Amino acid sequence: MPANDKLILALSNGRILKEVMPLLYAAGIRPEAEFDNPDTRLLRFQTNDPRLDIVRARAFDVATLVAFGAAHLGVAGNDVIVEFDYSEIYAPLDLGIGKCRLSVAEPADLAGRDDPRKWSHVRVATKYPNVARKHFARRGVQAECIKMNGAIELAPALGLARRIVDLVSSGATLKANGLVEVEHIADVTSKLIVNRAALKTRHGDVQPLIDRISEVARAA
Amino acid sequence: MNELVTRALLPAGLRDALPAEADQEAEIVWRVTQTFKRYGYARVKPPMVEFEESLLAGSQAGMSRHCFRLMDPDSQRMMALRADMTPQVARIAATRLKGEARPLRLSYAGQVLRVKGDGLRPERQFGQVGAELIGADEPAADAEIIAMSAAALADVGAANVSIDLTIPYLVPAIIGWSQVPPDIAANLRAALDRKDAAAVANLGGRVGALLADLVAASGPAAVVLAKLDGLDLPPTARGEVVRLKEAVRLVQAARPDLALTIDTVERRGFEYQKGLSFTIFARGVRGELGRGGRYLAGEDLMEGAGETATGVTLFTDTVLRALPFPAAEACAFAPFGTPPAVVRALRDGGNLVRDGFGPVADAVAEARRLGCSHIVEGGKAVLLPANPKEAKK
Repeated sequence: MPANDKLILALSNGRILKEVMPLLYAAGIRPEAEFDNPDTRLLRFQTNDPRLDIVRARAFDVATLVAFGAAHLGVAGNDVIVEFDYSEIYAPLDLGIGKCRLSVAEPADLAGRDDPRKWSHVRVATKYPNVARKHFARRGVQAECIKMNGAIELAPALGLARRIVDLVSSGATLKANGLVEVEHIADVTSKLIVNRAALKTRHGDVQPLIDRISEVARAA
Repeated sequence: MNELVTRALLPAGLRDALPAEADQEAEIVWRVTQTFKRYGYARVKPPMVEFEESLLAGSQAGMSRHCFRLMDPDSQRMMALRADMTPQVARIAATRLKGEARPLRLSYAGQVLRVKGDGLRPERQFGQVGAELIGADEPAADAEIIAMSAAALADVGAANVSIDLTIPYLVPAIIGWSQVPPDIAANLRAALDRKDAAAVANLGGRVGALLADLVAASGPAAVVLAKLDGLDLPPTARGEVVRLKEAVRLVQAARPDLALTIDTVERRGFEYQKGLSFTIFARGVRGELGRGGRYLAGEDLMEGAGETATGVTLFTDTVLRALPFPAAEACAFAPFGTPPAVVRALRDGGNLVRDGFGPVADAVAEARRLGCSHIVEGGKAVLLPANPKEAKK
């Protein structure tokens, strides 16, 4: 069996990883010991299933890897899935983890005298320029989006943009930066995603894996 | 950047194919059209550019955003560059070949140009090789196109090919029949495209459970057909399933080794398809090798009614990715002064021979420099001795 014949599951680092691993363990998928070593330099890990490897990447890259078939399966939030809107990604299963929301936020003092219904043009800093643009377009608001890759909450205080579009879970980060939510765009959870061609051409390998994870996700 | 350097830059999505690849692509086109020919398909060659109203007639209006336009200075009318060849072949069938006996079998090969690439195919120019079967409504016609596509790909050497069948209007028909409100229907379609069975069940109202079952009913053809039998489908959908079943039986009889899957929920890119449609994949290859299915040919042309047709289009760039890189071909170097009759006899015998244009000190080294594997000596092509430099490495 050639090495690239293995199935590859892409996971993103960080918060979602902690929530997704119990599901994988329950589904009988156990990565090698090195996976839990916080100082590891490895990016690709074997599992107890000789036909399945796990790779770790940034959340946005998980979607890209799966869209292009570099990874066959992955776990990604629907914030990332709708931002790219790749036609080659199926998201057959809501894992019910990584719950948060995508919102518009602005400084508390601005929010006090601001009426979002009156906006015609906004400038926002965001990791999600496509989602933001579509959201505002639906409301008839022209949006100028400044793409950032992290620390979005800094943007209003530094004068980059008065408003931001970002993920909010507890709201603590917003509060610490003097921001408040003014609009809700979408609820976010993590989904199991699958490459379209992989599901068609390797149905016998991929579908049983989806079914196993699906069972434990439903039980959880 | 130096201006002379940037002159090497091509516009986005356009590229040069270099020797081995260009040759391999031409070979694919030739082999595929030969396979189609053996099934009785006659080749046609439409022009690259047409008046936009004929190229984009009827259901092809959706291709409008993909087409480059040019103004015809002669007729002062707008012309469009083809972004897809199928409508051109359908136009030929509906006009010049209107009087020919049906079913009409036509094949074609050519390059198409699109305004924008998409994520998986950034190329704006790529090759299409295809076949259209016009005026035959039988499931056997659907089966012929599918089995012939598999035969053509086998003939070019593509491995692990699998064909995914769909009935693109099955799901829209069920959604229409169920009277799901339009705003929910949009979300429902998105959930169907993502194969999110739980969301489909939630949004689908009284057809939610049925649609969720359809999402789950995808995979190997035999398994899915059995599942579809157990579903309570609307009567109109039932007829399409019977056709699907018959076509699958015929394809399997013709190509027992072909991997056939079914996914009745698949509809992306099939918006204008009128019946049984399919997508061709190869394991480990990004994107689609080809697609096809049943449509209405020649709609809005001449009398305008159109006739039922089915066909396939293979994309040569993706097919190329499914093939191993070709091995270097044997080529002989004929040193300056080799008698022309010797070189001619070798070429007539199918050998590749490169002529030397002047005397050289070391003919073997010269042959190597020119990338030749053989040298002409004593009237024959002789394999070059092993390269001493490479042996040392």
